[in-house]
Amino acid sequence: MLEFLARRLFYLVPVLLAVSLLTFLTASLLPGDLAYVILGDQATPENVEALRRDLGLDQPIWWRYLGWLGHVLEGDLGRSFRTGQTVLQAVVERFPVSFELMLLAQIIALVIGVPLGIICAARSGGPFDRFMTSTAFGMLSVPTFLSAILLIYLFAVRLRWLPATGYAPLTENPLANLRFFILPALTLGLAGWPGIMRVLRSDMIATLQEDFITLAKAKGLKPFRILFLHALKPSSLTLVTITGINIGHLMGGAVVVEQIFALPGIGRLLLGAINTRDLIVLQGVVLCVACGYVLINFIVDTVYAVLDPRIRHGHA
Amino acid sequence: MKKRTCFDAITRTAFAAGVSLLVATGTAGAQKRGGSITVGQELDIPGFDPLKVGVYDTSAQSAAALIFDTLTYRDDNGEPQPKLALSWTHSDDYKTWTFKLRPGVTFQDGTPFNAQAVKDSFDRWKDPANKCRCAFYISGIHDVQAPEELTLVYNLTDPSVTLPATLSFPSPANVVHSPTAWKNKGNDYNRNPVGTGPYILKSWTAGDRMVLEKNPDYWNKGHPYLDRIILKPLPDTQSRFASVQSGEADIIWDDEFDADNILKAQKDPALTVHTYSGSGAQVFAFNTKVAPFDDVRVRQALVMALDRKKMSQALTNGLSRPATNPYGDGSWVKCKDDGALPYDVEKAKALLKDYGKPVDFKMIVTATPRGRAGGQVLQQFWKQIGANMEIEQVDQTAIPPRAFMRQFQLTPWRIVDFPDPSPQMYANFHTGSPVALANYSDPELDRLLEHARSTAELDKRIEDYCAISRLINKEAIWFWTFQNTYYAISTSKLKGLPKLFGGVIDVSNVWLE
Repeated sequence: MLEFLARRLFYLVPVLLAVSLLTFLTASLLPGDLAYVILGDQATPENVEALRRDLGLDQPIWWRYLGWLGHVLEGDLGRSFRTGQTVLQAVVERFPVSFELMLLAQIIALVIGVPLGIICAARSGGPFDRFMTSTAFGMLSVPTFLSAILLIYLFAVRLRWLPATGYAPLTENPLANLRFFILPALTLGLAGWPGIMRVLRSDMIATLQEDFITLAKAKGLKPFRILFLHALKPSSLTLVTITGINIGHLMGGAVVVEQIFALPGIGRLLLGAINTRDLIVLQGVVLCVACGYVLINFIVDTVYAVLDPRIRHGHA
Repeated sequence: MKKRTCFDAITRTAFAAGVSLLVATGTAGAQKRGGSITVGQELDIPGFDPLKVGVYDTSAQSAAALIFDTLTYRDDNGEPQPKLALSWTHSDDYKTWTFKLRPGVTFQDGTPFNAQAVKDSFDRWKDPANKCRCAFYISGIHDVQAPEELTLVYNLTDPSVTLPATLSFPSPANVVHSPTAWKNKGNDYNRNPVGTGPYILKSWTAGDRMVLEKNPDYWNKGHPYLDRIILKPLPDTQSRFASVQSGEADIIWDDEFDADNILKAQKDPALTVHTYSGSGAQVFAFNTKVAPFDDVRVRQALVMALDRKKMSQALTNGLSRPATNPYGDGSWVKCKDDGALPYDVEKAKALLKDYGKPVDFKMIVTATPRGRAGGQVLQQFWKQIGANMEIEQVDQTAIPPRAFMRQFQLTPWRIVDFPDPSPQMYANFHTGSPVALANYSDPELDRLLEHARSTAELDKRIEDYCAISRLINKEAIWFWTFQNTYYAISTSKLKGLPKLFGGVIDVSNVWLE
């Protein structure tokens, strides 16, 4: 097991290097630069040149990358050109918001997707299954920015049950915090459950045809017991993988959702950094997100290995 | 209008000071005290230290108007009135301005406010070693002197007739910073600003909220009315509007491209739409050094092909106000004849026919939905007269470098709302200026621009600026589409909001009914 973990961890290094290089290149290819954002559009070319020199933006791109990488390896992600805040501080401040959002969204997606997947598998081909399958397709094609606005219109503007925008820290007021998170998490969760349902459904259908299920049925076990206790675990391998990969989708969705609901999370930080060409922040945040993503998938792989012993011995 | 002498200026301002204080104290009892409001802004605020932030956007200016004071403020007629300065005089050449400062004012950290405090801050920005990002914006001020405790002298590099009005904007170098604060806090001053203003910064969570609390020792007794103001960046237009509808926000920033919501709010009795018709305009510059715009007939034809009313209908449901000159209804420059070319498709076609060659060109457009929409509408108008425009989408931040290097045929630009047309007109049209984008040089235009900025008599200046407008319109080196209009939407309980000068939502004196 330890050897397995070490091998997996070792693979992460080139992945993270590639991600950081790619981000750096893409960010540097963006037209326009921060100097104009800071100085405003009335500034003269001389002012802009001076600031660019001051910020080191006039250096060749590879030199800037190596310099940045060196600092990162020393644990210094740099300071925002714009606000002067350290990138690490900004990420630490905003991480809990995105984490809570994604966690709640994932829970909502699982709470909706798992039971539906099981029920549809148990009655596969039936009217409920067909209805849910097409509903899932429908939901998959609704973009989050649309469902977000619809939810706001219904629950905030019409019914006035929930706030349209805003945030309260969990540590200060857990109840208010939850109120602010319901709509954004629901928006993301609604986009997430169809994938979960569909994957679980097809795996479950396969499992239900296995001999041990026939045996369980023959033993006269209740259908509920068979589905949730006997069939769910062997059917959930793909589901676990999907949940890990889903983090990527959730992160992407969080960028949009945090913007709409004005949540002060990583997604907003990222979008702000892109809009203002604050490259240091952009690179730092993307690196942190990539680390998080890679780490979560590392954990998922490990869980996978726990679920299925064949994998950890390397001969699946 | 008669010539204003120094003596006039002194009596006028001293009188105004008395009146404004009377008004302030006299009506203070009528306004309801206490309570708090939430302001929904467009953008995250990066900070307040001029060394770090060369220019405040409107979100930052709205915050600066709470934390800081300026020497003057503008009343609803746009006239400068005393704030931290009680009165002012100027030298005959308008290059030296002397301000008498308000006694007994202290910064929120207890530091006394005086001329030296202003001078210390200014010297810090001017010191080349500090590489102030505000350098460009203070380049017109040669130095600041503090000959007496409460006497402040501005020495300008060029004459400015309207310095007291221009100092009213809550911009980085106009608001008065506590020297003790920036000396002690260094790098952290950017996000821990200290001024003399009516509200004190209590907490600030990036991306979420800035909490400001009433300054109990504010010099203007009886003010402010509210106990607390929360500023929140709400970046999404739709959910920002939903927030004021559902009550999470009491007032929000908006603009005319959100026309549907503005029209909806105008019909909603629970909401008030605050509108300010500012000076300036949304403008476009032809590069007159490259074909086909090196020919005046082509430029005139394109301008004459524009039906601004139809354009306003298409883009903003008719909210945008057509512009025929660079000053706008919000400016004190009013022209009987601004020389605007008429909307005349036939004439435009004839001009192009006369030109004889095919007219194909590229226009820079901001790579945003509204930028694209604007470009497409123009494209259609020009197609009608047989000119082919290709849209080139460019990121907002990439436009200034392209403009400076003159790497364009036709580019969008903006003349912002400002108390005096002089700084922007001079920069945009005087030969040799980096933003004289049209690459156009005319001794008569230069003469008028120079005369207009160094003349004190208002009617003479208006004459100059109208002549300038006629000249530019005739040569069609730039054209204007819409005037600047600024919007805020609030609950109808919110009262006392002043005009949205420059788009700044100044809630420092509002109250809730």
